[in-house]
Amino acid sequence: MDEILITGLGVISCLGNGVDAFWRGMNEAASAPRRVPDPNAHMDIPMMYGVPEAEVPRAEREPDGQPLGLGSRFALEVSRQAIASAELDGTDPQRIAVVIGTGMGDAGLHEEWRVSGYPERDGWSPTFCVASAVGSLAGAEGPNISVSNACAASGFAISIAADLIRSGEADVVVTGGAEAYSRVALGCFNRLGAVDSRRCRPFDAHREGTVFGEGAAALVLESEEHARRRGAPRAYARLAGAGWSCDAHHTTAIEPEGEQVVRAMRQALRESGVDPSEVGCVVPHGTGTLINDTVESRALSEVLGPVAAKHPLYSLKSLIGHTGGAAGALAALAAVLIVHRGTVPPNVPRDVADPECEVSLPERAVPFDGSAAVVNAYAFGGNNVSLVLQEAGS
Amino acid sequence: MSGPEITSAAAAELTVTGIGVISPRGHDASAATLPGAAPSGDWFDYRTELGRRGYKYLPAASQYFLAACNRALRASGGCEHVPAEERGAAVGTNSGAEGLHSAMDETIVKTGAEDLSPATAPFFSINLFGSRMAMEHAFKGFNLTLTSPRVAGFEALRTGLRSLRLGRASWLLAGATEDALAVLDPGASGSEAGAVALVLESAAGAAARGATSLGELSVRSGFLPPHKAGQPQGTEHARRLLGTALTAGGGTGGGGTGGPPDEVTAVLDDSPVGRAVTGALGDTARRVPAGSGCLEPLLQAAGALARGGDRSAAVVTAAATGEVAVCRITPARTGTAAHRQSDNEA
Repeated sequence: MDEILITGLGVISCLGNGVDAFWRGMNEAASAPRRVPDPNAHMDIPMMYGVPEAEVPRAEREPDGQPLGLGSRFALEVSRQAIASAELDGTDPQRIAVVIGTGMGDAGLHEEWRVSGYPERDGWSPTFCVASAVGSLAGAEGPNISVSNACAASGFAISIAADLIRSGEADVVVTGGAEAYSRVALGCFNRLGAVDSRRCRPFDAHREGTVFGEGAAALVLESEEHARRRGAPRAYARLAGAGWSCDAHHTTAIEPEGEQVVRAMRQALRESGVDPSEVGCVVPHGTGTLINDTVESRALSEVLGPVAAKHPLYSLKSLIGHTGGAAGALAALAAVLIVHRGTVPPNVPRDVADPECEVSLPERAVPFDGSAAVVNAYAFGGNNVSLVLQEAGS
Repeated sequence: MSGPEITSAAAAELTVTGIGVISPRGHDASAATLPGAAPSGDWFDYRTELGRRGYKYLPAASQYFLAACNRALRASGGCEHVPAEERGAAVGTNSGAEGLHSAMDETIVKTGAEDLSPATAPFFSINLFGSRMAMEHAFKGFNLTLTSPRVAGFEALRTGLRSLRLGRASWLLAGATEDALAVLDPGASGSEAGAVALVLESAAGAAARGATSLGELSVRSGFLPPHKAGQPQGTEHARRLLGTALTAGGGTGGGGTGGPPDEVTAVLDDSPVGRAVTGALGDTARRVPAGSGCLEPLLQAAGALARGGDRSAAVVTAAATGEVAVCRITPARTGTAAHRQSDNEA
């Protein structure tokens, strides 16, 4: 089967704008959440890892004059970066698709309207128009898909993007995820008691929940044959496999035995032909919520075997927070950089390691010693997806 | 084909064996294409459809989808014969959570997040409509939520079918659910409410267990950038985009058998994209106004399937944001399928 290559990247997060800023931030391993700039955020912990104000993309409007929400603006920014790095000019637009994951879309725009007044026109303004905005930007006339499987949305989006190529429906897919501040989402997480009052502390013994983050990541996926034919300037990595499952257990809690998250990881490894011993790094879902981190740690041990505790994890959320529907894409982009640059950056230090989570979180950079990186993304409702990334040409 | 053309994601030899419809027009597939009815008043009673306990605090879009799925599953003969990890689900929704979000936001702004209902709070996440169904019926293969404006129901079918073809599950429940927008939301006058669910499985498997085949369907989709739609060549661009979706045959076999559809229904709005697609379809398509969501196209497809008979059909829809999709429907030729479906629902 033709390989799926990743030939373009773009990212924005609390670490700044662009791939270089992201990699630099990963290696500096220091960040902190801040109060959201919303006077109506009436909740106990109105904190998140926001995109720095100076880096927020300028306001844009759709062709019909409708303003774009922040989720769409993030997505447009990272898609521009990804398309530019892939040098996609000249690709047949009918063979380009777009698949974007987002949990809340442009809900922030609607929230703004509720307090400062609605636009005068009565035309429907769909919340989930992030992929549409990217489609217009890219002039992509293939399928245009918005995926909203909560915190696993962009993990599924990347996998669906690969499926579009494998099924012959597209040669190139601009994919990824985007999430911006939503008062409703943060308020509901507060109400559920799922927000940590200090910072996002996955696998820490004293973790209290998660902390949201803003961000977006875009990846250009492309069939190897198409990339070769057009002379793509580079391939950062290849998407070797994906696994899906559903807990069908609870609206918010992960299934405590981890049966389905194990199945998703094994499916992804099987599809990629990678033996667990070859895994050189895992970018876990690792949210900082009590049960998720414990269950995921045990699942990793079950999948990777006795050496699981020695496989380095790269805990991205401890650095940029939980970026919701964009989390899978940001994790995948981090894994691509780890594979491409051959280094696992240092993790944000934990205060106290949770003995229930037998995982390795190196606090200094270590070489990427393996042939594959695994990315996990899980969501409310038990929607699980795992991705396997490898060096291009491996 | 020299111009842009929307591509097919048909899965081989899959057939529809169950339809569930929950709509102000009636809770039966035969009512799906009746003229629109305003989603207000007491048109839906969760206690009748779902039971008295355990459903009261579910958001309406979740109740609708559960009820539609229950009807589709009953019509199909249930899912107990399918291993839980072989059951896949995909649901499309655009506005299903908008009213809920509006109410939640009002609470947060006026009195604070601590006054939110803990039972309802998780449903800020729009994927819980599908996930709640997955919990109810043990769908462990996969469970996707698609939200592409107006075409999300068709994308749920398309993505679900592709995923089956790629081996991610062997049996699919796909559909759409919507609930009314908040009164002040832009587009509220076009609100949709209700749900559609379809069961799809291999034709061979359905035949082996004696299930009734209601017909086949396939979905194609593409994107017409709004700035191109608004240009003088917009109609021609839309015509090229629709391409063979309306000239080749339909059916989940994807083989292009059967030629052009006997009837075309266009679910469109008055946006530049809608006007371009309208122009491309010409005068022969039956026009149905699009609502503020993705439900109407799937209602039309479900109605065409339920009618049965020998006439093939296509439902074309598009969003102002650029998404365009075509669903081809080839009803089973027995002529009894719809009646047996209704019998099952009775």
